[in-house]
Amino acid sequence: MPNPRKPDGSLVTTCAYCGVGCGFKAETIGGEIVRMIPWKEGKANHGHACVKGRFAFDYYQHPDRVRTPMIRSSIDQPWREVSWDAAIAHAAAEMQRIQAQHGRGSVGAVSSSRCTNEEIFLMQKFARVALRNNNIDNCSRICHSPTQFGLSATLGAGAASQHFDSVLQADVILVVGANPTEGHPVFGSMLKRRVRQGAKLLVVDPRRTETAESAHCKATVHLALRPGTNVLVLNSLAHVVVTEGLHDAAFIAARCHPAEFEQWRALVADARYAPEVVGPEASLDPADIRAAARVYAKAKRSTIYYGLGVTEHSQGSTGVMCLGNLALACGMLGREGVGVNPLRGQGNVQGGSCLGSWPHMLSGYRFVTDDAVRATFEQDWRLSLDPEPGLRLPNMFDAALAGTFKAIYIQGEDPVQSDPNQNHIVAAMKAMECVIVQDLFLNETAKYAHVFLPGSSSLEKNGTFTNAERRVSMVRKVVPPLAGLEDWEITVKLINAMGYPLHYDHPSQILDEVARLSPAYQGMSFALIERCGSVQWPCNPQAPEGTEVLHTQTFPRGKANFMLTGYVPTTERIDERHPLLLTTGRILSQYNVGTQTRRTGNVAWHDEDLLDIHRQDAEARGIRDGDLVAISSRYGETRLHARISDKVSPGVLYTTFHFAQSKANAVTSDLSDWATNCPEYKVTAVEVAKVPATAPASARARAGAKA
Amino acid sequence: MWSELRDLREGQDLGTPPRGGEPVALVVDGKPVTVPAGSSVMLAAAAGSCPVPKLCATDTLEAFGSCRVCLVEIQGRKGYPAACTTLVEPGMVVTTQSPRLHELRQGVVELYLSDFPQEDVPGGWSELHETLQQVGVASHPYGQGENHLQAPVDESNPYFLFDPAKCIVCSRCVRACEEIQGTFALTIQGRGFASQVAASQGERFLDSECVSCGACVQACPTQSLVEKSLFVGGYHRAQPPKA
Repeated sequence: MPNPRKPDGSLVTTCAYCGVGCGFKAETIGGEIVRMIPWKEGKANHGHACVKGRFAFDYYQHPDRVRTPMIRSSIDQPWREVSWDAAIAHAAAEMQRIQAQHGRGSVGAVSSSRCTNEEIFLMQKFARVALRNNNIDNCSRICHSPTQFGLSATLGAGAASQHFDSVLQADVILVVGANPTEGHPVFGSMLKRRVRQGAKLLVVDPRRTETAESAHCKATVHLALRPGTNVLVLNSLAHVVVTEGLHDAAFIAARCHPAEFEQWRALVADARYAPEVVGPEASLDPADIRAAARVYAKAKRSTIYYGLGVTEHSQGSTGVMCLGNLALACGMLGREGVGVNPLRGQGNVQGGSCLGSWPHMLSGYRFVTDDAVRATFEQDWRLSLDPEPGLRLPNMFDAALAGTFKAIYIQGEDPVQSDPNQNHIVAAMKAMECVIVQDLFLNETAKYAHVFLPGSSSLEKNGTFTNAERRVSMVRKVVPPLAGLEDWEITVKLINAMGYPLHYDHPSQILDEVARLSPAYQGMSFALIERCGSVQWPCNPQAPEGTEVLHTQTFPRGKANFMLTGYVPTTERIDERHPLLLTTGRILSQYNVGTQTRRTGNVAWHDEDLLDIHRQDAEARGIRDGDLVAISSRYGETRLHARISDKVSPGVLYTTFHFAQSKANAVTSDLSDWATNCPEYKVTAVEVAKVPATAPASARARAGAKA
Repeated sequence: MWSELRDLREGQDLGTPPRGGEPVALVVDGKPVTVPAGSSVMLAAAAGSCPVPKLCATDTLEAFGSCRVCLVEIQGRKGYPAACTTLVEPGMVVTTQSPRLHELRQGVVELYLSDFPQEDVPGGWSELHETLQQVGVASHPYGQGENHLQAPVDESNPYFLFDPAKCIVCSRCVRACEEIQGTFALTIQGRGFASQVAASQGERFLDSECVSCGACVQACPTQSLVEKSLFVGGYHRAQPPKA
C-alpha cells in the first residue's frame, strides 16, 4: 500500500495561526481532515505555507479537547459535566447575581483573536447589550495596541499601509523588532526572496535573528541595540535624516502639517539624538546608525515592517510613532513598495482591533463617548449604551484584586500563561467569584475557572478573519464542532440567557451587521468575499472590492501628523542584583502559549523553552550549555535550561514562552506602555544562577521520565 | 513579480511561472495563442489547451529543463527543444504532438520507470501517474538493473517522509526550498546514477536546516516526498510480485 490514500473532499479556508492569514485547502477523507494544502490563489500566501499551518492541525481532535460543558462551585472542587443549557443558565445567573450584588461594572469579557470577526463582534456586543457596560478588551492589549494608537496618531489609520506583495517592490526593507522568518514565516520567505533579488535589508533587533542573517539573506546593517532603547535609536535615525537633509521636503509640504514637521525636526535634531551620543547608550556603533538612516532615506522605495519588539515596551506607542514619523519624513507612504506595516501575531488580531472589542471604542475605531456614534448602534440594537469607557484587561485584574471586579468571560485566551507578572494575574483570578473560560482545552486560566464552555477550532466554524494586511478571508467549517456549538453560537446563547433576545441563522448575518455599523467594512459581505477570494478594508462605494495600499492620495484626516517622540528610558533597569536584560519572543514551530502546537508533532523541533545566554555571561556564572538555571527578576522566578548562544549580545538573555511549565511570565514585569498598557515583555532586568544538580526534577527530566 | 504570484490558479498548472509582459502571438498545434512576453512555450501550450507532458516543471518554480519529457517541435529550429525552457516568440509555430515526439517521450518515461517501484505504477494519483497516462506508458522494457528500490526511507520528519525509491531527481524539491521558502536546506548530492536528494550534508530531514514548510512535498511530482497522514498504519513498501 505504498500509494497514498487520495483525499475525497476539499474546502478552502484560512489559517488561524499568525497574522499572515494563509489560504489553505483542507483536504478530507471520509470527513476526516488528512492534510492542509496551501491555496495557490491565497492572496497572502500564493501557495506557500509554514510548518504550523501546513502540518500542525491535528490538535483539533486531540484527546485533551473538552467535549462537554463543565461547572464547579469553587476552583478546589472537581469539574462536573453538564448540558449546554445548564452551563449557559448557570453562567448567566452567576453574572446577573454578581452584577446585582456588586454593580454593573463588576463583570467583563475578553475576546479572542483566534476567533472569527463575527465572534469578536458578538463578544463586544455581549458586553454592551448583556452586561450593559464597556468592560470588553482583546488580546491586542498585550501585543499591538500601541500600533492602533501610534499609527492612528501619525497616519490616521491603525493598520498596515500596504499589502504583503508590496514588499516585492521595495528597494530597502527595514525590519524593526520582528523576526518574520519565524514569527510570520510565509511573509518571511517573501521578504527573503526580495532580498535575494537585490533589495537591501536593515534590521533593528537585539538578537542576531534568522531574519538578520541566514542563507543568501543578510542584513546590510543590523542594529543589535540594547533592549529598551528603541525610541532612542529610532530618533537617532531621524536625527541623521533631518540633519543630513535626507528628508522629502515636497512630500512633507504636500501631505503633512509643516509646522508639526518643524517641531519634530527640532526635537530629533537635538544633539542628544546624534548617533555618536546614542551609540554608546544603545550598545551600537554610531557609523551603523548613520549608514542605516542613509540607506533607508536615500532609496526610491523603502518599507518598514515591525513587530512586538517595537510595541511591547513602556514606550511602545512612542516607538510606533517614531516609525510613522520616519516614513512621513522620507515620503515613504502611499505607493507600492513603501509603507509602515505591523506584523500582527495572531490570525485575527487585526479583526480583534477592528470590531469594537475595546473598552473605549465601538467597531470601526469609533469612540463610545461619541453620542452620534453610540446613537447608530443604539438604533440598530434597540437599547441605550453606556457612554463611559470600560476597563482595560490589566485594569480588570487590578480591580479584581481591589474587590470591585468579580466575574469575567474569557473566550479563547489564556491570560494566566500569556499575561505579564503571572503571580499578579493568578491572584486576580482567585479573587473573582465567577471565571468563565471558553476554550478548546483546559488551559492554565481554566485552573481558576468556575464555568468551562468547550469552544470550536477554526476548522469547525464559518466566518471571516482579517489578517495583518487588512485582508478579510473566509473561514469555512471543514468538520463539525467537536462539542456541538461554534463559538458564536455559544455567545448568542449567553446573550439570550442574559435577557437580550438575539438570533442569527448564519455568521454571514453578523458580518452584514458589522458592515452596517463599521465604515471600513461597509461593503463587506460573504457574497463579495466568496466572489473575490478575499477583500482588504477599506471596502466601500469608492473601493467596492477593497483597498490594497492606504494613503495614496490623502490620509484619513487629510494631512498626516508628526508626533513628538522624546525618549524616556524604561524604569525597568539593570542594577547589581539584576544585571542582565531578559527579552522574550517566539519560535517557528510553536505558536504563542502553545495550547495548539504543543499538542502536535511540532514538539519534535521544540519541546521545551530554553534560555539563550551569551558565552561571556554564562562563563562568569559557571553556567554550561544545558545546565538548569534559575532566572529571578524583581517580580518572580522561574527555571529553564540554558543554551549558550551567539545570537544574543553579552548582557542580554532570550527565551520563548510556549510551555506553561516554563513560566516565562513569572519573571516579566507589570510595567506597560504609557498610552495603551501594552506590557513591557521585552525588557526585564534579571539575574541567572546555576541550579545545583540535586534540585527538583526539571522540565527536561520530567519529559524524559514520561518517555 | 506580480504575475508570477497573482496569476497562479488552483487546479491548473501552467508548467512555468505566469509572466506579465506584452502580448505575443504564436501558433500551437495549428491554433493561434496569445501569451505575455517572457512566457515559455509550455505555458503557451497549456493556455492553448494543448498541455505538454512534463515532470520537472511546475508553475510555482522557474523552468529547469531536466526531465526531457516536454520536448516539442518548433518550425525553423533544429532538434526537439524543451517547452519549459524555450521562451515564446512572435509568429512561432509549435507542434506538441507527433509520432516522433511520442516516441521520444515514451523512451524518456520508460527510463524513469526502470528505476521506480513497478508495484506502485497502478492505482497512483501523483503527477507522475498523470504523465504516464498522458504519454501512454505503464511499464518499461528493461530488465532489473541497478536501482534505488532498497534505498532507506527517511521518516524522521513528523509530518512527511522521503522514499528515494520513487525519486526521479527532478530537483523540484530542491528548487522549492530555494525559490519559494528561501531556506536552501536541500541539494542534489552525487553525480549521474548516484545523484540523490539530500537534506543539508546528507542528514535526515529532521536533523537538517529544513523548517518543514512543506514546499518540497507540495512540489514533488512522484509522491516520493509525501504526507504521512495519507497512510494508515505507517508506510510500508509494496513487496515485488513473486516470480
